[in-house]
Order: sequence, then structure tokens, then C-alpha cells
Amino acid sequence: MAVLHKQDNQPVYVLHTYPFKETSLVVELFSRDFGRVAAVAKGARRPRSAMRGMLQSFQPLLATWSGKAELKTLHSLEWGSGLLLLQGDALMCGFYMNELLLRLLPREDSHDALFAYYGDTLRTLSQNAEHATSLRRFELRMLQEMGYAVPLLNDERDQPIEAERIYEYVAERGASTGVTPLPAANRVQLRGKTLLDMARDDYADSQTQQQSKQLMRMLLAHYLGDKPLHTRQLLIDLQGL
Amino acid sequence: MRNPPALEQLVESLRCLPGVGPKSALRMAYHLLQRDRSGANGLAQALHNALQVVTHCSLCNTFSEDIVCPLCAADNRDPTLLCVVEMPTDLMMLEQTRVFQGRYFVLMGKLSPLDGIGPKEIHLEKLLKRAQDGVVEEVVLATNYTVEGEATAHYISELLRSRGLKVSRIARGLPMGGEIEHVDSGTLAQALMERRSVR
Repeated sequence: MAVLHKQDNQPVYVLHTYPFKETSLVVELFSRDFGRVAAVAKGARRPRSAMRGMLQSFQPLLATWSGKAELKTLHSLEWGSGLLLLQGDALMCGFYMNELLLRLLPREDSHDALFAYYGDTLRTLSQNAEHATSLRRFELRMLQEMGYAVPLLNDERDQPIEAERIYEYVAERGASTGVTPLPAANRVQLRGKTLLDMARDDYADSQTQQQSKQLMRMLLAHYLGDKPLHTRQLLIDLQGL
Repeated sequence: MRNPPALEQLVESLRCLPGVGPKSALRMAYHLLQRDRSGANGLAQALHNALQVVTHCSLCNTFSEDIVCPLCAADNRDPTLLCVVEMPTDLMMLEQTRVFQGRYFVLMGKLSPLDGIGPKEIHLEKLLKRAQDGVVEEVVLATNYTVEGEATAHYISELLRSRGLKVSRIARGLPMGGEIEHVDSGTLAQALMERRSVR
């Protein structure tokens, strides 16, 4: 019988794996053409499994899978082009991006621009550039690619943002000049320059770095809901040692 | 038809084992009660006994019946070297090589950010205390070369180096007898990136 719905050699990254039954894994893949896909890698936990060493996050891979249901069957994996060596803090940044994608990206919803940007960010991280800035860029691009509006050039009354003015930024509404009667967790006070810098992709200013971090944290918390991010908690716990 | 309550309870208890679902649990319960009652008795006693006597070694954190395990108590090991591994099976593999003469610390896991496994679950505090006993000079990190193992090694090394200890990581690359033609490209790429100069 012909295998239905087979996808050959799709560019993917492994976001996460979970043990499944005695010797298998469920693999969460981020693919270029199909978005987030979950597949069973049969026997991948056996000592001599060909897939075992390859099912590592942050590496460009080519995957072949089949299946019609939500959970596919992974048939084979090959190394994609170029190996990435994430080390140290860059690894934790990678885990953080993976957690964001696992939490926010719906299954089987293609986002090829985000896929490309994810790969670019991994490459930047592996070359040991400015990690915080790479993450800010990725967070913003991710929200925009997923269709969440993050207006940076105009305020909520459609007036252009002025660099020297102080704004209150509220999720889903944007920047406002008035005082909003909302709990502090749902709004961030910042300079107009921060928003304009972010729109221009310029994070050289230290105040822009700081305020963009607060802004993105507030926006992500809004879309993530009540459950906090594991990666952030882990970094807090490590600081406490 | 319902099974007797005691049998139901046994099935439910067996399901706490990894990879055992309701069907396998029922099969195991039937087997133990029908075919192998003496085996079942042995299992019950062994389980009860193990729960009573097995704890973690106060020094290396591995499973032990004593406060200090035999390996930590041995006086022919080098106390200045401390090797950190993820699991007791890793310790056994390293011991089989018979090259390492130092002592060990077993984390009983690894940092796994996406599963919410953090420093508390892998006893990092205990490791920090162990490594700073004043005798240990070098800590050898032998966690796995997976992304989680790498992250674990990175954070342990940061913590220990800031406390003035020498930290090293086991090497990786081509396996013994490895032929370039048959090595996977991930390993090969890493071997190239981390090449060393020949003395």
C-alpha cells in the first residue's frame, strides 16, 4: 500500500523531544513548509538508532515523515547544510526560542519567513554576537509573523510616535499618551525613541535595550497567559545559587 | 466484569513504571498472580527492602546503602579530581575504562529547560558544597554531549570557576577505530571545529 501524505526531505529544526513508549520519542519539529509538526521517531532511544544522535535541537536537518493524523511517523533524518555550534549562554537563548515557539506557534501552520529568521538567529547566536539584541529581534519578528500587531510607528490614535515623548504601551492597543487605568503588569512606560529604534531594528542605545526588553516581556506574558516560561525560571534559579 | 479491588490497585500501582500503560499493567498483574506467585513475592520484598535501605551517598549522590558509598569510602582514589556525570550508568561506564582514578558526583539528571528540570532537581547545591571541600582541585565534566548535557556542563563550569576551581570537559570527536568515511557529519563537523594542534 502506498504511504499517504509522505513528506520527503523537509528542512526542519528539532524543538523538543519527549520519551514515548519503551524505545521511541515524540519529536516536535519546526518545519519550513508545514510549521510545527509532531512525529514519532520509532526506536530512536535504542542504543544503535541512526536517528538518536541527530535528534538534537538547533541543528538544520532534513526530515522525511508520513501520516494524516496530528501525530506523524518520522522515517528518516539527514544533516542539513552547515552545523551550528551553540555554546554556553547561547544554548539557553536557543532553549528560550524553542519554548516560545512550542508555546505560541499553532500546529501545522506554515511560517516560512519565521523559519528563515529562526535559522538566522541561531547562526548569530552561535557566532557569539550580542545575545540580548538577537532575542529582542526574534521576539518581535515572531509576534509579527504570527499576526499579532505590534505597532511601533504610530500611537493608538494613529499619530506618528515622537522620539522624545513618554508613552504607555498596552498589549493589543499600542502606545498611548494618556494614563491607562490598567494594572502595572499590562502596560509599560517607555520613550518614543525606543519604539522608533525597534522599528528601525537599531538596538545600539542602552536605554532602548532595556525598555525593549520590558516591552517584549510584557507583550509575551500577555500572549503566553498564566503559565510562566520554564527557561526564564531556570535562569532565575541558577542566579540564586 | 470488574476485577477485585486488590487486583485493580495492583494494576494502578504498576502503571507508575515508565512506558507501562493500562494494558501492559494488567498483563503484568495477571502474570504475577497467576503464573509466578513466588516471583511476585520476591518482587514485593525486594521493593520493600530497597525502599528501606537505599538512599543517596552523602558525598557523590549516587544510590547507596551506606551514608558514604564504597567508591567514595575507598582510600586508593585521587581526592583532588572530581568527575561529574548525569546518571549512575554513566559512572559505571567510566569505571569500566579503568583510566579515571578520581572521585565522582552523580547529578541524577540534567538541566532540561523545556521540561522544567532546573538546578534544584539535579542537586547543584550539593555539588557546589562537595566541590568546595578544600581538597578537590579539578572538576571533570562528563555530562552527555546532548544540548541539555552541554547546557548543564556550561552552568556547572560557570558556578565552579567563579569559586576558583579548575574545570575541564571530556573531549569529543571521532570514536576509537573511527573511519572518516563512516562517521556521521555532525560528529565530523564538530571534530573539525574543535581540532587541536599536534604537539
